[in-house]
Amino acid sequence: MNILRGLVGGALGYVVGAGLMMAIRSSAGGRAWEVESVTAGAWLFALSGWLLGVGVWRYWARGWFGRDVAPYTATGGRRYLDFDTDHKVIGIQYLVTFLGMFFMAGLFAMLMRWELMGNGEDIVGPDQYNSIMSLHGTMMVFVAVAATVGAFGNYVVPIMIGADDMAFPKLNAMSYWLVPPVLIALTASFLAGGYDTGWTGYAPLSVQSDVGGLFFNLAFFTLGLSSIVGAINIVVTVVTMRAEGMTWTRMPIFVWSIFVTAILSFIFTQFIGLAMLMVVLDRTAGTIFFDPAAGGSPLLYQHVFWFYSHPAVYIMILPAFGITLELVSTFTRKPLFGYKWAVGALLGIMSLSAVVWAHHMFTSGMAEALRKPFLASTELISIPTGLIFLCALGTLWLGKIRFEVPMLFALGVLFNFLIGGITGVFLADVPVDIQLQDTYFVVAHFHYVILGGGIFGLFGATYYWFPKMTGRSMSDRLGKVHFWWMMIGFNATFLPMFILGMQGMNRRVADYSPDLESANFAVSMGGFFLGTSFVIFLFNFIWSWARGPAAPADPWGSLTLEWQIPSPPPHENFTSPPLVLSDPYGYGDPDSVHADLARDGAKTVVEK
Amino acid sequence: MSGDESKKANTRWVVMTGLLWVVATVLGELAVAAIEWHPFGASREARITDDAFDLLMVLSVPVISFVLVMGGVALVRGRGGVIDEDGPPVRSHRLFIGGWVVLTSALAVLVIITPGFSGLDELRAEPVPDLVIDVHAERWNWVYTYPESGRETQGELVLPVDQRIMFRISSTDVIHSFWIPAFRIKQDAVPGQITTTMVTPEALGEFDNADELRVQCAELCGVGHARMWTGVRVVTEAEFEEWLAGAGG
Repeated sequence: MNILRGLVGGALGYVVGAGLMMAIRSSAGGRAWEVESVTAGAWLFALSGWLLGVGVWRYWARGWFGRDVAPYTATGGRRYLDFDTDHKVIGIQYLVTFLGMFFMAGLFAMLMRWELMGNGEDIVGPDQYNSIMSLHGTMMVFVAVAATVGAFGNYVVPIMIGADDMAFPKLNAMSYWLVPPVLIALTASFLAGGYDTGWTGYAPLSVQSDVGGLFFNLAFFTLGLSSIVGAINIVVTVVTMRAEGMTWTRMPIFVWSIFVTAILSFIFTQFIGLAMLMVVLDRTAGTIFFDPAAGGSPLLYQHVFWFYSHPAVYIMILPAFGITLELVSTFTRKPLFGYKWAVGALLGIMSLSAVVWAHHMFTSGMAEALRKPFLASTELISIPTGLIFLCALGTLWLGKIRFEVPMLFALGVLFNFLIGGITGVFLADVPVDIQLQDTYFVVAHFHYVILGGGIFGLFGATYYWFPKMTGRSMSDRLGKVHFWWMMIGFNATFLPMFILGMQGMNRRVADYSPDLESANFAVSMGGFFLGTSFVIFLFNFIWSWARGPAAPADPWGSLTLEWQIPSPPPHENFTSPPLVLSDPYGYGDPDSVHADLARDGAKTVVEK
Repeated sequence: MSGDESKKANTRWVVMTGLLWVVATVLGELAVAAIEWHPFGASREARITDDAFDLLMVLSVPVISFVLVMGGVALVRGRGGVIDEDGPPVRSHRLFIGGWVVLTSALAVLVIITPGFSGLDELRAEPVPDLVIDVHAERWNWVYTYPESGRETQGELVLPVDQRIMFRISSTDVIHSFWIPAFRIKQDAVPGQITTTMVTPEALGEFDNADELRVQCAELCGVGHARMWTGVRVVTEAEFEEWLAGAGG
């Protein structure tokens, strides 16, 4: 019902905005209707209309005008379709939405591998291939920046710090309800014939692309809004909502990773909004930011784009680091080794990530003098990244290891990121990068980082927190089958891509030279194998949610706060505000108690 | 086990891990040395770049093998854990952390100095060209102009061997990238800007014998991007002069 209201509101907003744009165009002496400029301007009105209709007006904005807000009555499953402000509902909304987007983008990847299976044009032409490739990349980037933070940043972080909700619950709901317009813009782009620029959308190609490109710009811009709103909320929540005794050095490392990610997201996402806005203005309003004939600069786009998009890589991977360290500690039953070094690593990566963007531009034609500084800053980032491995290895050592499904994914992150990280050292080396830039070596590298690291982390987190979120257990056996299937499929797909890149296969091509055919065939087979692994996951996920056996409060024996309350947790999480007494890594120390949940004065023994 | 015995057992594991690391590193280095990683290379720049890659490979092997061996040993040794049995509450180890920080920092600084800065300096040495060629990219074509003779060609780039060549690269429509895989050079063609790159071809050859000898567009430029390539032919200086004069006159 509220979704219908949102759609009507969005349509009305579009009409109002379009009318205004057409009036402006007429008054400026132009033709009133021109789809791009009218739509670009009307988009902001449509967004506002959508948000007001979907719940902002009824549950929130009425109060600004002294009117009573509508009572919130949705219960059960309907809450997930409504403007619900419970962080746990929003976390599940994010998880399901972005898993859906992940599988959709994965289907595009299957199409790409089908086309690339043989030399020559097989199932799609180069134009369609470019569109599919661009949509695959864009949607996967959206998944990688938003899925883990949106799902588990929302669901788990407030409980882990002993809070009853996020600092700004309504803003939190708004950040989620900004996502459906992203899906609408992507669908519109697809229906309009897509765009041929890749997710990077380099100007001037993007300025010249068809109307599908405009919807790509609007989608990215809108997702950016959602990210910024969500990030502010997480930062404020972690700073102000921690339970008594939850000092900075007692925070679970996952909370640290989400906190640092949110800072990055808050600071840097504005640049991608800016990059998209400048392209939209060049397309529709006659500005000349990127038009060299009129004094603009194509390189300007790349700088602004990578201001965001390099830190974004860390927005994608830091949550996975946090999850990995959390899981390694839980499933070795040992305290996190070198906790302060892990926090330092996260902060170090956060700081350095701001000054490495131009390593994407070594061959771009930027000043030669910039090569050495960016080579150096990029290689230096391997030091804090290495510390993550230090902490993981130190925790594994002497551990009593349980190979539960989440642990397998954590080990998968470590193995895959090892390869992804080391090949990053190669690509930061300018002479090597000159050869490998824009080849499949780069494609392999970032898939090892983002899919092998970030998305493996997302699946580890999903298996780990599923019992908490749903109150039901996932099938352990199917989970293990999924892990090994995905792990083998992943490596079979992407390891040969390094070789393909070194042999001279450039990226973003629908066709390649005949001698690369057999390797491409092998990669495609690996890709299909990888793709089918998710069928198992989907079955396990859906079936367990509906029919899985009831899960205990703490099936893994974890010590963090979310496991000390029932599965799923009650509405405001804790019956009374918890008192935190030490960090949540008291394994091997019988006297250690993370928190007193009853607040009756006596320290309750935390269930193990 | 008494404390002494467990300490001894632990030392044995540490020693064994160290030995395994050495063995894995040696085997890894041998494997890396035995594999031919690079496609056909035909320029001074290719030597510099391939050397840099090889050095990084040599440096990577002990890092990768350390993580895999230490992690692998820990997993094998600690397998069969159960939910109600905790590991030892070890939170820190001064030697391990200190050694790690020092070694990884030193390694990062090393790769910045060499092959990083040293490779860049080598690429930048010899900045004076013997020959300048203008390269113009437009969707989806490469046009080569030899300013000295005024000769303009498409379809094949003809170069003299052992000459220092500078390419002045331009574009009018969108960004392209001028890449010759056999030479390991790549430079974007940016509208409104002249970019340059230099190469010294060191081997004769042509695309028909080695398909790395091609100019390939490496920056997505639209529907014809994949097919935007031409062959490269490297000839002797005499042949080159003949070719230039024959066509120019």
